[in-house]
Amino acid sequence: MFSDRQPRKFLEPAVLSRLAGVPLLARRPMVGSVSGRHSSPHRGSSVEFAEYRKYVPGDDLRRLDWRAFGRSDRFYVKEYEADTNLRLCLVLDTSGSMAYGSTKAGGAAVHQPLAKIDYARRICGTLGYLAGQQGDAVGIACAAAGVVRTLPPRRSPAHLRLVFDVLEEAKPQGTTGLCQVLHELAETTRQRALVVIVSDLFIDPDGLIGAFGHLKFRRHDVAVFHLFDPQETAFAFQRPTRFLDLEGGGAIFADPIEIADRYQRALAAYLERLRQLVLESGIDYQRVLTDEPYEQVLARFLVGRAMARGLR
Amino acid sequence: MTFLQPWMLAALPLVGLPLIIHLINQRRYQTVPWGGMMFLRAARALSSGYSRLRHWLIMLLRMLAVAAVILAIGRPLSRGWLALAGGARPDTAVVVLDRSPSMQARAAATPETKLATGCGQLAASLATLAPQRCLLVAADDTLVEIPPATLADAAATAPLAASADIPAMLRAAYDHIREHAAGTAEIWICSDCRSNDWSLEAGGWAGLRDAFAKVPQQVRFQLIAFDEPPAGNLAVRLTATRLETRGDERELLVNIVVTRPEGAGRATVPITFEIGGATTSLDLELAGHETVLANHSLPLGRGAEPRGWGRVSIPADTCQADNEFYFVYGEPPPRVSLVVAEEAATGHVLELAASIPPSKELSARADRPSREGLATAAWDEAAVLAWQGPLPSGRDAELVERFVSRGGQAIFFPPEAADATVFAGLAWGDWTTHPQPVHPEQWRSDEDLLANTLSGGALPVGELEVRRSCRLTGEHVPLAALPDGVPLVARVPDGRGIFFCATLPRPGDSTLASEGIVLYALLQRALERGLEPLAAARQEAAGPTAVALLAPGAGLRWERLVGPPEAVSTVAGLQAGVYAAAGRLVAVNRSAVEDAAGSAPPERIDALFRGLAYMRVEGLAGRGDSLVQEIWRAFLIAMLLALVGEGLLSLPRRRSSSPATVLEAAA
Repeated sequence: MFSDRQPRKFLEPAVLSRLAGVPLLARRPMVGSVSGRHSSPHRGSSVEFAEYRKYVPGDDLRRLDWRAFGRSDRFYVKEYEADTNLRLCLVLDTSGSMAYGSTKAGGAAVHQPLAKIDYARRICGTLGYLAGQQGDAVGIACAAAGVVRTLPPRRSPAHLRLVFDVLEEAKPQGTTGLCQVLHELAETTRQRALVVIVSDLFIDPDGLIGAFGHLKFRRHDVAVFHLFDPQETAFAFQRPTRFLDLEGGGAIFADPIEIADRYQRALAAYLERLRQLVLESGIDYQRVLTDEPYEQVLARFLVGRAMARGLR
Repeated sequence: MTFLQPWMLAALPLVGLPLIIHLINQRRYQTVPWGGMMFLRAARALSSGYSRLRHWLIMLLRMLAVAAVILAIGRPLSRGWLALAGGARPDTAVVVLDRSPSMQARAAATPETKLATGCGQLAASLATLAPQRCLLVAADDTLVEIPPATLADAAATAPLAASADIPAMLRAAYDHIREHAAGTAEIWICSDCRSNDWSLEAGGWAGLRDAFAKVPQQVRFQLIAFDEPPAGNLAVRLTATRLETRGDERELLVNIVVTRPEGAGRATVPITFEIGGATTSLDLELAGHETVLANHSLPLGRGAEPRGWGRVSIPADTCQADNEFYFVYGEPPPRVSLVVAEEAATGHVLELAASIPPSKELSARADRPSREGLATAAWDEAAVLAWQGPLPSGRDAELVERFVSRGGQAIFFPPEAADATVFAGLAWGDWTTHPQPVHPEQWRSDEDLLANTLSGGALPVGELEVRRSCRLTGEHVPLAALPDGVPLVARVPDGRGIFFCATLPRPGDSTLASEGIVLYALLQRALERGLEPLAAARQEAAGPTAVALLAPGAGLRWERLVGPPEAVSTVAGLQAGVYAAAGRLVAVNRSAVEDAAGSAPPERIDALFRGLAYMRVEGLAGRGDSLVQEIWRAFLIAMLLALVGEGLLSLPRRRSSSPATVLEAAA
């Protein structure tokens, strides 16, 4: 599908090949323009029976179930599931904080933490590739102090290359504009879509409530990959440190030994609020430490969705 | 606070070392680009007051630890309350030790006396303080160097029977400090603050205080006051002895006084008399503060010696020094008087007054040598000289001076005509004739020749009529004065027995003769005083007079016949006991004021040192802890505690939630 002349750093063929066997499925019906592997809110002509419905004038007489008429002396129309394609909207947080990536002593370790932006590129790129492979439309929006760049979902391989170009060129800088991007996305994307947000969510959870609610109101399927660098949770500094804000907010001088406990408490409070938000909004939430292989994260994500679809 | 190595305190600025290290450490920070600033800001907002307090507590404990090490190396001394006086180790320490009998009192539960306790405390304290020189004010008010460690057992600190003269001892210390001592000096006074030892009313205190205030050296006073009165202490004293002879039988009549604290109930105390190895005792019922046993008869037996000594004692109590009293007895010497008068009538009156003994058992004689025959008069036998006429001069003056110096008493009456001769610093002036007879308005009724009688009655001095009086010039101490302040009876201020009477017993001059009680008492009392040095047996209070009396010289070598075993002083007149030399006996005992005086109020004592560096410590017999102790161990312990506290506060606090727990809890 892609030319070898354009190798992408964030795409690993081995990972792609291993994940290709697991479909990327939406958790709710999609409204697509072509037939695909995703369920549609409309009744169609697939082999998957959906339900009986009373006949109303105007219905195609060929879809009447005569056997049901013979048993009940009433007219019923037999309906089947319609399969359609998926619109995948990737939302990449490109705020300055996404540039953070700790390095561990002995950098030759197997799972050296990546910078969050690189980790996010891999997730977005892989998901985009998988969606393109199964004929879904892929778009992308980069969020950093407003929408930096947006590509609406398209099904063409050429468009997918553009998406990869955007991923490749994305540079973390400035403050985050994730909430604003999500609101704009909810407004501009009329048809149902799978919105995958890859971000460290270093924003006030109260701001996210409105954004997620807006997306849910538009019947979008929302999935969030919440990225954490291991150092951001461990806060394992020893010496007095001057912390420079990657989003340009100035510096803070602190003795990590003194402040670590309170940092942990602040982090726990933030995560607790976020957990409440996830439960209330029903979004697909994945918390990811960047020292975890992204393949593993994506496999968990895809399998979870496939299993949810199977149960339904 | 005092330090044995105060130069170590120069290192005290190192206390700031932890602060400097902290500041340097703060400069050695790392810079890290960071994304999760929202959590850092929230953490800083969560910064509690305790956290800041803990931070400063750690810093404070580190500084305290450094300070404690420095102070411990400086070898700090604990001086209890004395620490407030401050100052470093003194160059000279002068010990003023009250060794009076009252300092031999002890607390009920301990055998150690106040003196022994004080000496022990002084020895321990000064051994710790280690001044360059340690001096003790000896009994003769000289300063002797003494190693501090030997203060507790040196003969120089042994108890005495004499009262202490604290002002004189301080004066001696002052003289030494002014002349010899360089640098700081500390005067350690150990006393039970009895008013008689401190002579609170003496006029010299103000001068002494001013002198110390002006001395260029820094002088500090430390008073160890053992002013707690001994509980239930009894004191026995013999006030009079009289030898009675009936045929060849002799008996001794004694007057005994037993003194005890006010407010005690009735009790009985056994009193033991010891005379010539024979012991008798009686039970005396005590009532009130003072119980007198008068004219108690002690039979001496047939053919007993008319001279001897004895001892009266009571059982041991809280002060051993006043539980026994030595006495001597003997036949009184003949009462010989010399009357020298230029005017015959006056001489006759004086001769009569001097030759009539107060009791018929006594014999008295008054010689009237002429002025030309004075050299051959019975000077060695005479006890009193009554002189009317121009004051003696030349060889006569020498004779009189020698007479007075050996204890004789001289009373001078004015001459008919004015005379410019000066004797003992005094001279007669002009006569004054009073238009109306005048009466003496004031006289010394508490002591000296015109004092009240033993029964307390006053002499009728005020009833005397004086028509003529002779002016007396020179420094004198008036014993009786006329209304215009003219002295009627006066004495020389140096304490010798030289008296002046400013009128004559003639009817035209005064009623001294017609109302002869005053003149008679005057002469007889002077006679009694003059007889004391002549008596074969004599009672004397321990002190300077006894020291002078028993001093080697004049061919006499005094030997102590009996005395308390603990008396080790070589100065005879300061130790109780019986001394004998050339057939004469002298009994030396504590003075009467030792039994009567109480402790002076602390504020009175403190007032004596007003304006000086002075600190008072209450002592307690038997509690001989050193007043000065090295306390570097306490500082090391403080340092350890500070380090332990610092370590505990510096321990990384257990995180309320580990990173994994945080993520799992929020998952």
